[in-house]
Amino acid sequence: MITIPYKHKMAAHCESGSITSLLNNAGFDITEPMVFGISSGIFFGYFHKMKSFPFPTFIVRNKPGKMRENLTKRTGIKFHTYTFKDPEKGRQMLNRLLEQNIPTAAQVDFFYMDYIPSWERVHINVHFIVVVGVNTNHYLVSDSYFPKLVELKTESLNMARFAGGNMSPKGFLFHPESIPKEIDYEKAIIKGIKKACFNMLKIPIPFLGVKGIRLFAKKITEWPSLARDTEHLSHEIMKINILLEDQGTGGGGFRFMFASFLQQAAGMINKPELLDFSRKMMEIGDGWREFSLLAARFGKNRDLGPERMKELSERLMDRAQVEQQFFSQLYKTIK
Amino acid sequence: MKEKDGYVNFPEQQVILYVEKEDGQYGPMQTGSYLSGNYLDDYEIKRYHLEESLRTRVMKGEISMVKYYMILEDLTLSELAARVGLSKTKVNKHLDPVHFGKAKVETLKKYADVFNVPVSNMLQVVMLKKGDNLESYTFLEENKQTEGIEQMKTENPYVMLVKIGEKRK
Repeated sequence: MITIPYKHKMAAHCESGSITSLLNNAGFDITEPMVFGISSGIFFGYFHKMKSFPFPTFIVRNKPGKMRENLTKRTGIKFHTYTFKDPEKGRQMLNRLLEQNIPTAAQVDFFYMDYIPSWERVHINVHFIVVVGVNTNHYLVSDSYFPKLVELKTESLNMARFAGGNMSPKGFLFHPESIPKEIDYEKAIIKGIKKACFNMLKIPIPFLGVKGIRLFAKKITEWPSLARDTEHLSHEIMKINILLEDQGTGGGGFRFMFASFLQQAAGMINKPELLDFSRKMMEIGDGWREFSLLAARFGKNRDLGPERMKELSERLMDRAQVEQQFFSQLYKTIK
Repeated sequence: MKEKDGYVNFPEQQVILYVEKEDGQYGPMQTGSYLSGNYLDDYEIKRYHLEESLRTRVMKGEISMVKYYMILEDLTLSELAARVGLSKTKVNKHLDPVHFGKAKVETLKKYADVFNVPVSNMLQVVMLKKGDNLESYTFLEENKQTEGIEQMKTENPYVMLVKIGEKRK
């Protein structure tokens, strides 16, 4: 039996949370919002029709894996990564790393995390946990979404690491390899902000960034025609709240965490003008939260007629407008 | 968001929100999920109705257990095919009870692994007596209300151990 001493802490999001937690446990002091901000985590994308999703959906963060990659590019913090074709080799490598007392992050299908309540668990291949121990039948896991260290059945972790389908984890593992003695935070933070602004404003794809929010606003009025029945529509409308609040965003679709990053950044690199942006971003997050609570209420009351859909659409158009303005101003200030 | 506005008393599902603290600093707070804390009963009602309607269709021979679990677990045909490692055409056939009957046991095992259910559940619907009613084991298990029955895997991948509770007098 192996148990690596590990300080577990809940986090808003699984990827930024597991990166932060691994670094903190390696003795490096960095916050989750700083990891999120430097890696340009904030984003928006709307997917009306995709083979992997049974109903239209949206994302509010950059592509899974990008947080770690961007953090490496901008700070020089290196991670050792592994993928496997053969599940048995993947299992052996994880055990070997644990034998060497190396806490290791694993990419998994969230559905098999059987300590999480059933109503939360969905098939999504981009959940990250940190494995910190192993015995005959279980692994010991630090999951940002769970209040304490928890045991996960060996069989469940193996299934979760080698689930097939969209963004299949392929047994992906990572752990910190080296942390530079000095980091140029000013450069890293500015690069992180610039790239976030670019992603929100300038990607020439109609469903990404602010354009994606506008597309969502336009398409949400079509949702009733795509649902099986009223209860299905209610479920999908209420899922908006899950995607913006519960599914590891820190609230307001990551906008609160980005506000927190800007506040920290203002002090760290002595740019007090970022404080104003931080306050504005908190207000933008409040607007997203109001929208998500409204969607939850409409769904619960089955109040899903054309007028309500139009109301949700208008709220989204408003979000697009304020984010367009915000990121344009932020880009001008930071460049 | 102010810290006081983020508080939800729901220990069963905790989340981290970034909020404005009393001193004006933004930072994390651990709290309950707003949606689950306020509307979990509504989710369960919808889930119950969906399971009931799919089960009825299974028992009428309209759909197979593959389609039953595929819809319950919110998977598309493409996603399910990629997860079980079969072509979409083949999986599409298995959604139909007639073609499902031609599937090999090892194929059923692949489906059961993806759905995270015992392989025997690909061929049966388990109902439990609850008060004067019968309720679906699938639904009850999701809600951890399955006193009286337990389905466990054995070292033999094709044999499940089903423990049924003592009959009450």
